Amino acid sequence: MNLAWTQDPNLLAAALSAFTPFASFALIMLFTRSHARLSAGISIAAVGISLASAVFLLVRNWSLPAPIQITGRWLISGDIHIPIGFLLDPLSLLMLTIVATISCLVQVYSLAYMAGDPGFSRYYAFQSLFAWAMLTLSISPTMIQLYIFWELVGLASYLLIGFWYEKFSASEAGKKAFVMTRLGDIAFFLGLLLVLLHFGNLNILDMNGPQATERLSPVLLTVSALLIFGGVMGKSAQFPLLTWLPDAMEGPTPVSALLHSATMVAAGVYMFARIFPFFSHSGNAMTVCLSIGTITMLLSSTMAMVTRDIKQVWAYSTISQLGFMVMGLAAGGYAAGVFHLTTHAGFKALLFLCSGVFIHHYETNDMFVIGRHGGRGLLIPMICMTLASAALSGLPPLSGFFSKEAIMGVLAGQRNPIWLAAGLMGAFLTAYYSFRLIFIILRPNLSEKVRAETHGGHGKGHHAAGLYWVMAWPLIILAAVTLVLGFFQGPLEVFLSGSQTVSESHGTGHHAWLPIAAVGLALAGTGLAWLEFGRNGAAQVGFVERLPALRALFANRWYLDHLYRRLLDYVIYGTISNLFTRNDRRVIDGAIDGMCRATIGSGRLLSFVQSGMLQYNLMVMFAALALVALGFYFLG
Amino acid sequence: MSMEFATFPYLTAILLSCIAGLLVILFIPDERQMLIKQVSLVSSGIAMVLSVYLFFAYDKGKGGLQFVEKVLWVDSLGIYYFNAVDGFSLPMLALTGIVLFTGVLTMWELTHRVKEFFAFTFLLVAGVFGVFMAMDLFFLFVWYDVSLFPMYPLIAIWGSTRKEYGAMKLTLYLLAGSALILPGILYLFVKSGLNTFDVTALMQPGVFTPFQQKFAFLLFYLGFGILAGVWPFHTWSPVGHVAAPTAVSMIHAGVLMKLGAFGVLRVGIFLCPEGWQYWSQLMALLATCGIVYGAFVGLAQTDLKYVIGYSSVSHMGIVGLGLATVTVDGLNGAVFQMFAHGVMTALLFSSVGYIYERTHTKMIPELGGLSKVMPMASSYFIIAALAGIGVPCLASFWAELLVFIASFRVYPVRGALAICALVVSALFMLRVVQRTFYGQKNERLAHLKDVSFGLGIPRMILVGVIVLFGLFPALMVDLVQTASLPLIQGLPR
Amino acid sequence: MNSLTTYLFIAAALFIIGIFGLLQRRSLIGMLIAIELMLNGASVNFMAFNRFLAPDPIIGQVYTLFIMGFAAAETAIALSIIIAVFRRIHSINIEQARDLRG
Repeated sequence: MNLAWTQDPNLLAAALSAFTPFASFALIMLFTRSHARLSAGISIAAVGISLASAVFLLVRNWSLPAPIQITGRWLISGDIHIPIGFLLDPLSLLMLTIVATISCLVQVYSLAYMAGDPGFSRYYAFQSLFAWAMLTLSISPTMIQLYIFWELVGLASYLLIGFWYEKFSASEAGKKAFVMTRLGDIAFFLGLLLVLLHFGNLNILDMNGPQATERLSPVLLTVSALLIFGGVMGKSAQFPLLTWLPDAMEGPTPVSALLHSATMVAAGVYMFARIFPFFSHSGNAMTVCLSIGTITMLLSSTMAMVTRDIKQVWAYSTISQLGFMVMGLAAGGYAAGVFHLTTHAGFKALLFLCSGVFIHHYETNDMFVIGRHGGRGLLIPMICMTLASAALSGLPPLSGFFSKEAIMGVLAGQRNPIWLAAGLMGAFLTAYYSFRLIFIILRPNLSEKVRAETHGGHGKGHHAAGLYWVMAWPLIILAAVTLVLGFFQGPLEVFLSGSQTVSESHGTGHHAWLPIAAVGLALAGTGLAWLEFGRNGAAQVGFVERLPALRALFANRWYLDHLYRRLLDYVIYGTISNLFTRNDRRVIDGAIDGMCRATIGSGRLLSFVQSGMLQYNLMVMFAALALVALGFYFLG
Repeated sequence: MSMEFATFPYLTAILLSCIAGLLVILFIPDERQMLIKQVSLVSSGIAMVLSVYLFFAYDKGKGGLQFVEKVLWVDSLGIYYFNAVDGFSLPMLALTGIVLFTGVLTMWELTHRVKEFFAFTFLLVAGVFGVFMAMDLFFLFVWYDVSLFPMYPLIAIWGSTRKEYGAMKLTLYLLAGSALILPGILYLFVKSGLNTFDVTALMQPGVFTPFQQKFAFLLFYLGFGILAGVWPFHTWSPVGHVAAPTAVSMIHAGVLMKLGAFGVLRVGIFLCPEGWQYWSQLMALLATCGIVYGAFVGLAQTDLKYVIGYSSVSHMGIVGLGLATVTVDGLNGAVFQMFAHGVMTALLFSSVGYIYERTHTKMIPELGGLSKVMPMASSYFIIAALAGIGVPCLASFWAELLVFIASFRVYPVRGALAICALVVSALFMLRVVQRTFYGQKNERLAHLKDVSFGLGIPRMILVGVIVLFGLFPALMVDLVQTASLPLIQGLPR
Repeated sequence: MNSLTTYLFIAAALFIIGIFGLLQRRSLIGMLIAIELMLNGASVNFMAFNRFLAPDPIIGQVYTLFIMGFAAAETAIALSIIIAVFRRIHSINIEQARDLRG
């Protein structure tokens, strides 16, 4: 076996980073299913090694002159070459580090959150599966490899969402997630095929290079870009394929934190950024992506305003922020979009993990109940959640402020002011719904008798102190990141600019009023939330909730789910499936059975010839003889 | 075509291990069931080891026909006892060996008329092996019919739902298919003027006129296609699957349907390439219909085995689509899919068989919550279901990928339709998994035991094969390409 | 008047009456008599051809004598068959013998 590859530190680190979780998955599934602690240990060790390798790669290759690509032979058929390998460039290394970090933190957090669950080992096996898939996706050199691991990530998501499979709603949600993302994936796959057939290969560096415009016509570029964007729509829950993400909250909260906020759903955005130069060739496609991102952002913000479930708020928020990232990228802001992806991963994971502490402690998802039971007494989660909400709303000096400003700047550079207006509106709504939740928990309406029942709101008595701190430390780390990451915007942009060749629009410089406007709107949203929920004697009813029709619209996710249910029941099951099944039974089988009956029937008919009457036989004999004689006579 | 003669008659050894097993079983008295099963295990094991060995021992650099055994049989008719393997038949041989071995293990708990069951099974598999290795049309047809008729008693005696109807329908349908094949073979024999049934002689260019090729190919496509589950001649398949006992379903769906596709390949495509090109549009259309149709009808089923049956129809459509593209990738994908689907379907039926034996029902509404009761058995089914959906790193993903790339290149609309059917297949498979395995623990079935380690061995083997070829697809594609590339390159333009 | 054709007509008439009787009679004995008629028709045919076309040797008349002998033997066998059938179906009506009905 040729071990020369172990000599290359980059390759070794990349291989370690990507494949140790796979080894962990295999080990746990095959051998250590019955040893819960051992499984967890293996998994965390594996992802720890991945993290170390990722950081090593990031640091070592900080100022890379050109991307490093290492590939080996996976499949060659005819003229189709599918290699397996790694692509190390700033974007992929950044994503690798993000994924590894958050996976590590979430797996540590899960030690406490999932403690005592009968499926503990299985959980960690699936976490390792996810880590393997997502890490390899980040450093894929070709779109085919990306697609393969994209599907595997979807599989891990299915398994983890439906983790508590005894609950019908959980398995239903997992199935819904898989099928919906698969719809997007089909468009993605068709787009890839178009590119493969006309461009020749699916290597990312090649696709981002100048030959793309040479070999593909503008129409083809637009169509394939739009089809590939279908994958983004599915995986990153853009309109209209967004309803699977709120349902995915059926999974354990660490899963929601890892997959459905920071990493898996970000894979779509990551893919967009990955082939950003390819997408930028087609202005029409970018405009379509921009509009879809905008619609998504606004729509899901409205849905977040009326829900009672703490995780649903953050789920809708994730969809909204992903839309915002898509807006940034589609408007041409490569560095802005990627930066927001990075910061969002940090504070959104933090938000979910904090919610997880509340859910674990009070055993309910309802924010009103948590508030009434004295949720604000859990200090660390409360502080971290407030911090993260502020970051989400874009308040300085947190990381969210910097990244949102970057995107706003890009939007301002667009000719049509509608995008910027939408972005600012989104900022207002984001602040509103985030602080609505904060204030509901912070200042609960204690006018009911529940006040008397609140037991010691500090909650530490509920679990062993050790477990609590296992959950708290990841929170603290992520909060620190949220505080500090914003100031790294400059170095990160420099880092990222080495990885793409298309000039992207900056635009922050000459819009000095923009940050003020954005922050102002955010503060306005916060203020409105305080007015309605936070101050003493507040009614705790939002302005939307006062309009029942509007409230119903938002609460029912703009009736998208109803539409899908109708589509599924009437068109798919009712019409097509029914039609084909009946065709099978009545037409095809009917024809076959009919033929058999005809055969038997004709036999019965002909059996009349056998009448048993001797004289009929004799008659036939004589007739035949006469004919033969005549024949001889005439033909002689 | 290059021929490399065998140093040791491996192929005949495979056939003999089945026939010898059959003969030994016939002499064992009926009551000694364990001995019968052990003999079956040994002979099926030998067959599997030999076929897998050949799979890896094939020299990919040289290609062509290898392990050739050629003996003159009947001089006046030009019949030769001619066995050989190439890149197309080796995966099939390995598949048959694996499915046979795991099938025998799966039926370990049979108690009803054990002797006849294993005797018929070995007869059936001998026929199947014979078809895959035969390079002489006469022997190919003989083995083909040998593999057909044991299906009738196997289903009618040991089967379940509507077994007599299923057995009769299956047998009559398949015999109707062979009634189309035999005239085709005779037509070719007469028209070639060479007075031989030898495939390597008949496949030389210029032996048949284009019209003869088109006519003969149509006969072969319809005749073998019935066995391959080509839409609309597929309805015998779900009924047959449901009615058959577990191992027979495994062999039937796993291997027998591939027999049909392989027949189209070996007889139709090899001997009538111009006919193949002429009819490829129709083949693509029927294949796409089968893919979409099978997926949608599978949605409406409530019997577990019916679901698997219709998903088989859908997957065999993918094979047909690959064959219809007349490209190297399409052929590679089609043969890979034959192998991958065979293993996956064997695993599905094996898992369902275990569940049926324990719960005595296949109806989905009566099952549910099985994952808590028998986790291992559930996992096997779920892995197989995921393979069926086309999850990467399981074998069928690569097969489907190749077929879709090839078909999109040649038939964009039909290819796109076939790709869209992926969603429907995901929908119904996951629905089945959810209804059968997930949910509250089934109290009515809570007393049932999970699959023991011994009984789990065949399923573990199948899972291992699926994962192996999922992670290392080059193992299969490199082999198949040694046969597909020369074939496509030798096509008349 | 005394020509070959006359005798051929007579023979044909006998033969056809015999066929008609064989097919139409319900009674087995009746069918037997009709068969005798057919045989006699054939005999007349033989003798006519012998006399008018090839008088020497007198093969036709010898054939007729043979036919008479065969007819006698065949009648004996036929009657014993009729008796055996009668024992089974208790009738000499041929419509009762229908075991080979499909």
